[in-house]
Amino acid sequence: MVVLIAIGAIAAWFIFTEKYANTITKNADFIVNDIGFIKEFAQNDSVANKKYAEKIITVNGIVSEIEPVDSIVNIKMIDTITDAFINFTFQEASVVEAKLLKKGDTVSIKGSCSGGAYSEILETIFITFKRCALNK
Amino acid sequence: MKKTILLLVVTTTTMLSFAQKKKITTSATINFDAITTLDALPKADNKTVVASINTKNGEVAFESIIKSFSFTNPTIQDHFNGAKWMDSEKFPKATFKGKITNLVDVNFKVDGSYNAIVTGNLTIHGVTKPITTNAIIVVKEKAVTTTAEFSIKLADYNVDGAAIAAGKVAKEPKITVTAFFK
Repeated sequence: MVVLIAIGAIAAWFIFTEKYANTITKNADFIVNDIGFIKEFAQNDSVANKKYAEKIITVNGIVSEIEPVDSIVNIKMIDTITDAFINFTFQEASVVEAKLLKKGDTVSIKGSCSGGAYSEILETIFITFKRCALNK
Repeated sequence: MKKTILLLVVTTTTMLSFAQKKKITTSATINFDAITTLDALPKADNKTVVASINTKNGEVAFESIIKSFSFTNPTIQDHFNGAKWMDSEKFPKATFKGKITNLVDVNFKVDGSYNAIVTGNLTIHGVTKPITTNAIIVVKEKAVTTTAEFSIKLADYNVDGAAIAAGKVAKEPKITVTAFFK
């Protein structure tokens, strides 16, 4: 009985103190390019969400916009034909590198895909990523 | 021909003038804080929120992908998105559409800090409820920063579960929405 309680306590301790690993150490489930990836969501966001949401994905593309958020920045890759875009927010360990990026830079970003949806405000598809890191 | 060109110029100028009244950001932030004395983990932020403000008619809106909320703890994030809580597979977005009701008290052309009252409809978990909240609007060199802090009753949005009943997740989490419009 005591052993079972101890095992349970240790398991609970591991679960509640667990944190996300640095994204750079994770293997990507998919490697995609920005425009092709956006087009998949534009064609059928339900299918794309099932395929990509909560997966680690490397997106290769060009920095279209840099948006300030608090003291950090988000990086956007935009399909200029449809205005649909991917918005990447970075993990703490990668914020300094992200801040050095400039519009027009060719980059490789790895992160956890949160999925995409149609924006009623923008009238286009937006796809978001969290805990991103820059591939070197 | 000259009249047609003039008409086109006037129409385009008018449309541009209207368009400039609506400011949009795709990097607004929502902080979600449902911590209790029993559990400090149900706390997350989402920094990829789409938000808009119309400085002419006071319309405000935001929309957020639920899976964009980032927790420090993977287990809590799974619970948050799970069927017993936000069920983000079925209800992938949260949205708000509303209006500044005291627009007369906010001057978007003069730098300063203004107290605004915002009323509108908040949709979470497929349920739409009216809410009213205070907001702070800061105007500085034509840029606008808005901050609204309010609480919601999870039960109003049919969000329940064992963790909420056990007091590990606040029944009325604090939501803070911040948006910076250039």
